[in-house]
Amino acid sequence: MSRRSLARFVALAAILSMFGTSAAVMPAQAADQVIKIGIDLPVSGADASDGIPTQNGAALAVDEANAHAPKGIKFAVDALDDAVGGVHNPQQGATNIRSLAADPAVMGVVGPFNSNVAAAEIPVSNESGLPLISPSNTNPTLTKTAKYRTAHPNEITYFRVCATDDVQGKAGAEFAKTLGLKKVYIIDDNETYGLGLANVFEKDFKEMGGAVLGHDHITANQQDFKALLTKVAATKPDAVYYGGTTSTGGGLVRQQMGAAGMDPAKVKYEGGDGISDAEFIKVAGDAANNSYYTVAAPNAAKSASAQAFINAYKAKYHSDIGAYSANGYVAAQVIIAAAEKAIKANGGKAPTRAQVLKNIQNTSGFKSIIGTFGFDKNGDTTSPVIALWTIKNGAQDFVHQINVSTK
Amino acid sequence: MLNWKKYRPIDWALVAIAVFMPFLPLVDHNGGHINVLVNAGIYMMLAIGLNIVVGFAGLLDLGYAAFFAIGSYTYAMVASPQFGLHFSFWPMVLISAFVAALFGVILGAPTLRLRGDYLAIVTLGFGEIVPQTFLNLAKYTGGPNGISAIDQPKLFGYHFGLNPLPYYYLVLVLIAFSLIVANNLRTSRLGRAWMAIREDEIAAAHMGINTTTAKLAAFSLGASFSGLSGVVNASLLTLVSPDQFKFNVSITVLSMLVLGGMGSLPGVVVGSALLSILNFFILPQASNLAATVGLHIDFTSYRFMLYGIILVAVMLFKPEGLWGSEQRKAELKESGDIAKAENAEYEEMPRETV
Amino acid sequence: MELFIQQVINGLSLGGIYALIALGYTMVYGIIELINFAHGDVYTMGSFFSIAIIGLLDASGQLHGLPLLLVLAVTLAGAMILCGIVGVLLERLAYRRLRNAPRLAPLITAIGASFILENIMQLWRGPSPIPFPSVVPNVTWHFGGVNLSSNEVLVVVMALALMAMLQIFIYNTRLGKAMRATAQDRDAAQLMGININMTIALTFFIGSALAGVGGFVSGIYYGSTWFYNGFEAGLKAFTAAVLGGIGNVAGAMLGGFVIGMVESLTAGFISDQWATVAVFLLLVLVLIFRPSGLLGEVLPDKV
Repeated sequence: MSRRSLARFVALAAILSMFGTSAAVMPAQAADQVIKIGIDLPVSGADASDGIPTQNGAALAVDEANAHAPKGIKFAVDALDDAVGGVHNPQQGATNIRSLAADPAVMGVVGPFNSNVAAAEIPVSNESGLPLISPSNTNPTLTKTAKYRTAHPNEITYFRVCATDDVQGKAGAEFAKTLGLKKVYIIDDNETYGLGLANVFEKDFKEMGGAVLGHDHITANQQDFKALLTKVAATKPDAVYYGGTTSTGGGLVRQQMGAAGMDPAKVKYEGGDGISDAEFIKVAGDAANNSYYTVAAPNAAKSASAQAFINAYKAKYHSDIGAYSANGYVAAQVIIAAAEKAIKANGGKAPTRAQVLKNIQNTSGFKSIIGTFGFDKNGDTTSPVIALWTIKNGAQDFVHQINVSTK
Repeated sequence: MLNWKKYRPIDWALVAIAVFMPFLPLVDHNGGHINVLVNAGIYMMLAIGLNIVVGFAGLLDLGYAAFFAIGSYTYAMVASPQFGLHFSFWPMVLISAFVAALFGVILGAPTLRLRGDYLAIVTLGFGEIVPQTFLNLAKYTGGPNGISAIDQPKLFGYHFGLNPLPYYYLVLVLIAFSLIVANNLRTSRLGRAWMAIREDEIAAAHMGINTTTAKLAAFSLGASFSGLSGVVNASLLTLVSPDQFKFNVSITVLSMLVLGGMGSLPGVVVGSALLSILNFFILPQASNLAATVGLHIDFTSYRFMLYGIILVAVMLFKPEGLWGSEQRKAELKESGDIAKAENAEYEEMPRETV
Repeated sequence: MELFIQQVINGLSLGGIYALIALGYTMVYGIIELINFAHGDVYTMGSFFSIAIIGLLDASGQLHGLPLLLVLAVTLAGAMILCGIVGVLLERLAYRRLRNAPRLAPLITAIGASFILENIMQLWRGPSPIPFPSVVPNVTWHFGGVNLSSNEVLVVVMALALMAMLQIFIYNTRLGKAMRATAQDRDAAQLMGININMTIALTFFIGSALAGVGGFVSGIYYGSTWFYNGFEAGLKAFTAAVLGGIGNVAGAMLGGFVIGMVESLTAGFISDQWATVAVFLLLVLVLIFRPSGLLGEVLPDKV
């Protein structure tokens, strides 16, 4: 065989192997009944600092469920990555949900992390009846309008355990007021999450009598924000509000403020949960101090019931929990609880996905480490909590938290 | 006339796989797998289109994703609640292809007289501008959120919905159609003109070929295929947003071409199939495999490292690709001398350098 | 008005960095007519190497014992040499074999090399921005309402000084003469006894070392870097090289400053989200209407 035809032979063998793979992955009818909890989060590249702690939280819940699972039932995790080249990707997310939906053993999915990924996944979830519970999607339109529920507009299959940006932005505005901020300049990263949050903040801050000096969108993933910040500095703001994530520029904007003529010790910086990761402090350096941010989840460390979780997490992963670890944990618990309820109703047999979905929809008074909650008619949590944090001496420091229950 | 003798068993094996493809869903009922195959098919269509530009005419287009974006957005704007329009899918397939082709002409007309490497950079610039513009014109395009709830096609009363299976067959048909069109183009008068331009543009011009028209045709025809894929992509995903059309899409498609063999249709098919398998099956499996032995390496995040290695290694050691055409191989072999001669001629002119 | 001057200062500093990168593009293109697509990533490597060297000096506890200037000199020299080596390796491994191949072949390997370098950096220091140690105290002077910082002066002075040195090197040394000869006619130069491979390798070394300087000063100027910086910076610097007239050292410098200004003024007075679009639009327009650039000669395309 010449070198040339050898190359072609290898190519063909690889193509053939695909069929082998796909045949092998087809669900086997196991004697042991496995119930799978899907996880779809960005766990590679720059987004991994968000995704991995959340995934760990969810996986921990599955581990714990196995310790006292009904007889003959085993819970398992099927975790997929929705990042491509290190950045969360809607197309990859939709493909992942479709893959999970194709496996009848998957009863529900924890995820996605990012709002624009959710926009591509909700239609698939809605069509296939596979429940999605997001630990962290905060964009309000995902649940409050039916536009993503293309197949069955009245069927809710997408839920979330975090508060939405209309509450987070409002809490941010109230927070700005208590900090005594009067003139704020708003910058966002021009992504679904960042722009949405910044717009809510702008509206509410103005309504509360604050002055918004300007609102600019940056191009994500740039290095140079000096020209923009020079323009911002000229308006002499009390603070800069940033809607967006650390990875799109939240850390760099803060870090470059000093060089553009805004002393970080004097001009405050406020943002949402997008800058709640440890990366922010690393990237912004000393300028990270005097920053404030909201998180759409309660401070787990403040709840006595969460201590066990925090300890278990540390023991298993040898690291501190992330901002959304607890939410990932609770989202998985909701699915597990719904499945267990259905198993009981079936007399010990594995449930159908429809049963699990029904039970998730009817979740109410669910006691968890992030509080007691249920889902409203849109799939949102009935007990959203916003926690306020600051950065002091290069470390995250909890300020306080408020429950912003929907009336 | 077909010369049966020139086909070897390896060629027949490829044909056998192609014949088997329509029956695959009978064996594999997993919707996730079918969905992966649809995505792979969309990339294959993109590769067939880019092959016309890069492979046939020898014009390096580094901003091909821009046309994909234009095709996707064209359909999204007229078949979603964005403007309350709900045009039918089927005519829009053609219209979007046409719109993408039109943009191919608009971009191509002023730039195609540039030398090859400058053209590559201009197209790269265009590829950066287009998604950014879609992002910035939020009023019409939904900005970062993009356009959602895009309509699905209906055929004789059958609604595609979000089931990937009908899309699978649609994509198979479109790929077959694209391959036939591309093959006819290759052997047509225009195709021979492209070949002449690719080998030696100046000689081609002297032979009476209108090089500008021929290059423009390659550019816009290539773009039209991405318009086609864009419509399918938008309706299956139900969402278009600017972040789907970044530089990495253009590079992925280019890597497919280079791997399989620029200018060779079987090469394009094999190259795009291989990279898709790598992306969707091998890399994730490799990460899982590594995890079972306690290694936490995420191979999928080094996908682009692999593309880089493919681009370098193939160009250095097998420039005609895994399944390149004999002719292209010959061309690339002798082109060393051609290029040398050209350079010598070109450099005769006095110039201020360095 | 003060704001305008301030933005011009921003634009000049940004332009100084682009100019340092553009010099490498213009030299390489001048000599072998290759768009060294990986050049932007060599620039990023300059920042990475600088961080590593400062880290080493710090780890050995010498950073605070040594005079600042010595630390800077060691870091800068180290970054330049390492980047120069990366450039020479690139030429040797990815481009030399294809020197006589159709022009698109080395361009494709250059794109591939760029991806490989980016991923190596990602493997090395992770996917997030990395802080650059603040070893240089930044002093700010106030002139009325306008602020000028020592870092801004550093960037511009470095760029101008290196351009001047490069100009002198090219026109007043034997090696420079060899480079010019190779650029004009490779075969004739060879006949004259010039070692072509050495000369081309030298060009890559110098161009990459200058990108290393760019990486070093941009690290000081921005206080951070990340593995993907080189992609856009490289494209913009290439735009600068084309704008100034490719192959022309003074032109690369001029182009760099113009691009920096366009970007800063667009971000400052129109909107940050259009700044990148403005630069690439300029690239497209220059290539269409004046592909020979501002200071380049108008040459007919290959006959």
